[in-house]
Amino acid sequence: MAKTYDCLFKLLLIGDSGVGKTSILFRFSEDAFNISFISTIGIDFKIRTIDLDGKKVKLQIWDTAGQERFRTITTAYYRGSMGIMLVYDVTNEKSFENIKNWIRNIEENASADVEKMILGNKCDLDDKRQVSKERGEQLAIDYQIKFVETSAKDSLNVEYAFYTLARDIKAKMEKKQEASNPPGARSGAHVLRASDQQRKPPSWLSRCSLL
Amino acid sequence: MSSSSAEDIPEQCKDLFTQDGVLLKSCIGRSINELNSIGMLCIVQNADSTKCVEWRPNDLITIDSDTQDQEWAVVNTIGRRQRTLSGNMTSDYATLRARIIKIPLSELKTFRVSRNNQQMQFSTKPGVWQMSFYFQHGNAEIFVAYLKNHVKTAKARNDKNTYIVVEPNRETQVLNKSFAELDIFTENPTDVVWSLVSNLRQRPYETTMEAFSKLTDIVYYGNEAMNGKRDVSEEVADLLTKSMSAMEDSTAVTRSDEYEVISVKPTLPPRPCIPRYALYYGNEAMNGKRDVSEEVADLLTKSMSAMEDSTAVTRSDEYEVISVKPTLPPRPCIPRGTPLSTEKWDGLQDTDGRVTEVEGVKQLIFRGGVAHSIRPSVWKYLLDYYPWTMTHSEIKNLQRRKTEEYFSMKLQWRSMTEGQESRFSEYRERKSLVEKDVNRTDRTHPFYAGENNPNLIVLQDILMTYVMYNFDLGYVQGMSDILAPLLLLLGNEVDSFWCFAGFMEKIAPNFDMDQAGMKQQLLHLQQLLTFASPELAQHLAQKDSGNMYFCFRWLLVWFKREFSHRDIMRLWEVLWTGLPCANFHLFICVAILDTEKDILIGKDYGFTEVLKHVNDLSMRLDVDKILSTAEGIYHQIVSAPHLTDQIRVILGLPTIGRSHTEDSHSDTEDKEASPKAECSRTNEASRSNATTNGNGTNQRVLFAPEADEYDRFIWPGEHNSNYIKTAKTLYIRIFVRWRHRLVSSPTEASTAKTLTYICPVATPTSFEPNGGFNIGSGTVLVYFGATGSVTLEYNGIQISVVTKTVWALLA
Ligand SMILES: Nc1nc2c(ncn2[C@@H]2O[C@H](COP(=O)(O)OP(=O)(O)OP(=O)(O)O)[C@@H](O)[C@H]2O)c(=O)[nH]1
Ligand SMILES: [Mg+2]
Repeated sequence: MAKTYDCLFKLLLIGDSGVGKTSILFRFSEDAFNISFISTIGIDFKIRTIDLDGKKVKLQIWDTAGQERFRTITTAYYRGSMGIMLVYDVTNEKSFENIKNWIRNIEENASADVEKMILGNKCDLDDKRQVSKERGEQLAIDYQIKFVETSAKDSLNVEYAFYTLARDIKAKMEKKQEASNPPGARSGAHVLRASDQQRKPPSWLSRCSLL
Repeated sequence: MSSSSAEDIPEQCKDLFTQDGVLLKSCIGRSINELNSIGMLCIVQNADSTKCVEWRPNDLITIDSDTQDQEWAVVNTIGRRQRTLSGNMTSDYATLRARIIKIPLSELKTFRVSRNNQQMQFSTKPGVWQMSFYFQHGNAEIFVAYLKNHVKTAKARNDKNTYIVVEPNRETQVLNKSFAELDIFTENPTDVVWSLVSNLRQRPYETTMEAFSKLTDIVYYGNEAMNGKRDVSEEVADLLTKSMSAMEDSTAVTRSDEYEVISVKPTLPPRPCIPRYALYYGNEAMNGKRDVSEEVADLLTKSMSAMEDSTAVTRSDEYEVISVKPTLPPRPCIPRGTPLSTEKWDGLQDTDGRVTEVEGVKQLIFRGGVAHSIRPSVWKYLLDYYPWTMTHSEIKNLQRRKTEEYFSMKLQWRSMTEGQESRFSEYRERKSLVEKDVNRTDRTHPFYAGENNPNLIVLQDILMTYVMYNFDLGYVQGMSDILAPLLLLLGNEVDSFWCFAGFMEKIAPNFDMDQAGMKQQLLHLQQLLTFASPELAQHLAQKDSGNMYFCFRWLLVWFKREFSHRDIMRLWEVLWTGLPCANFHLFICVAILDTEKDILIGKDYGFTEVLKHVNDLSMRLDVDKILSTAEGIYHQIVSAPHLTDQIRVILGLPTIGRSHTEDSHSDTEDKEASPKAECSRTNEASRSNATTNGNGTNQRVLFAPEADEYDRFIWPGEHNSNYIKTAKTLYIRIFVRWRHRLVSSPTEASTAKTLTYICPVATPTSFEPNGGFNIGSGTVLVYFGATGSVTLEYNGIQISVVTKTVWALLA
């Protein structure tokens, strides 16, 4: 059966309950916004295939429940994720402070080389804002993670965020593969080879075979 | 339909749902150059809280925010859409504004999804599709799903992609009738228009022909709309109720007779070598669908062939030792019953209001649920708010006490000052969680819809008061899902609170801080599935899904997210009965999974596909079918010869190590959960005159009837126990004889009393307190089902008998 994509990236959305993870995902996967969303119980994922420098990259994006209590279950799904969106709500101070905890949570449960990005969501609600953009940026600098403010409602920066994360994953993957390939094999700028050698790299890199 | 109208004040209009990337493909009365422009399709709530479907062209939305036009500046805030931005149009606002298309939901008649979820057509007039839209992302089904939250629809009989709006303003429907048909051919069916526009240039001839052929797209309004107004199941329920009462009427004729003899027919040809399998005589015979004997013969044949594959027969001197590779007995098909009706419910209470036949009531509810009109009253008992044994006046007192208690707890948090709150982070956190979830709970249901809906405040108040009631547990996501249907049904804050507290009591382990309760249930589910459907369990294990996490949502909120309100009410009330065993909700999971087994295995679904498939089952499940399947699986499992202790523990059954007899009347926690109805209400032992009829072979044991003052079953005496011991198959023929005897006057109240007559009053050897009795080497357990079924169990063999007399007696 013909594959309709060249590469599969598994991404994950985490952050406190109500910050807008599901809304961001819905915006990205369906280009829609729904005012009466329901809270997420358990876990779900959505798929969207994007075009990244000529490659069809299938993004499998997992959406988790935010409440702490469910973490024992939700962390089971961290395994194998290549990129994680850490989401907070700019109108909710607490959700911002919790980003630190979420990062710790990732360190404990996800692979070390996972790409991360911080999203300050609901930036359309300027009048209710509790966390300034500057603070978000500072946090990102502290952790050396990319950052962007988003609005799932107004479709602001949602595309950008996912493309950026996907691109970073791809770049990291290329770098690793180049490093592991003999120099002569290096060629075009973004030519990725299927992990031709049957070596088994320990990380997720191995799982993404490129055609 | 009206076009244009940006004069609405956007502040008061609310986009309930927005879908970007939608092209206008055709719209009657619009010029061709308006077509094919991209925009967003929305469900909008107007200031007067009427709703409409609205399409806005993108170039309208994306006008730069530097515009000075106040009116439009507001529209701008809807956003800059990167993905669907089309850009460079003229900024002639008036023209753009006129391009908005609005379809008030009150006028919407039909809509249709076609072209692989890429096209949606709308019609406000019989016979014509006025508008069609193209969904760039091919996800029209999502729009439909949300739209269906706002209009009640039925699917057209001849086209499953066409939805007919069945909750119309009746006035408009009538009004439109007159000229509608005439318009059919004068107006251009717009499905055709856009293909015309795009194709005419290249293929003028074919396109024209196509256009004519597409006239078949014209919708005719038959009486679908009328039919669609009532739910099929409602109709069926009605019919059943009617047929029930017809039955009651007809049996009433025999009431004048001294006895009513019901013989449960199946006379089985003796067949050797069938191990202890359940012969389950379902209700079908009563429904006239199928002869019981046919059914049983079928089951036997099936089990025979199953045996041939998997049984190794070892002949030992005395007995045939049959070792069966764990194959379950065939699954009986158990039809659902009718809901507990008002009349029955009234009849089941004595004059003081005590509910006398608790087990009987529960059985009835287990079989068919509760009629909607009496749910508010019955649920309070099922959820342990009202004790069954309380009289009317005691309940009044209880209500008073509970109301006071509720409000004093409510006061505790209501009187908290801002300062207190600011220094009480644990409370604050709980409060903010509640607020977030209340705003996301069942908002599409009219009861909770809209801004500032007072019911949301009640929802919040109850949850906050529960936080005070059980501060350690606090608020956990999922609780609002549990509460919402209760409040919706009961309406009253205090009642809802106590019923909610009762429900929470039943599912408290779901919300453990460490999720231990959830993990244990997931493990139990896995064990149960392994026993019931080993193939599937194995498949899941192979696919890294053996932890069953994909069923997490099902279990956490007891399937709330998988069913409509209507259906979840039915499912919950059945589960609340605690019948027929502990953890029956796990059987619901197994039933659903078993139904999907062929897909999950057949398509070789892996970890992610399994999760997706299971999540996507939401709102597509048939509650009655699932309940029926779950019960069938339950019977398969409990009658399986290889039933393990592991499973027994899950079901709340005594483990094998201990004897049946000893455990059957334990009064501990498994009382409610165990299927053993307490039937020892009538305890007069009476003459027993058991006859045994070998009927040619000693493998056939016949229980003969005996006439007596009391209704009962006659069992073979001790001296016949050899038949049972040596029989490889137990063929049982049961005659049930009822004596109609009224305790007092045949009033409503006394009908409840007559229920006691379904209990056995005689037993050959000894009588067990639970209604079972001893024969030969073991105990026969008797379970009285609702709607007249009686199940007898002997050494793991279960036989169900349908005795319509049970309810006939109530008539
Ligand atoms: N104004 C505004 N509201 C948003 C935005 N994103 C989400 N929301 C709203 O915030 C609420 C919570 O959003 P969800 O997407 O359900 O949040 P979540 O992070 O998935 O929450 P959990 O599932 O509980 O973990 C919803 O009512 C959304 O409508 C946004 O960008 N702007
Ligand atoms: Mg969510």
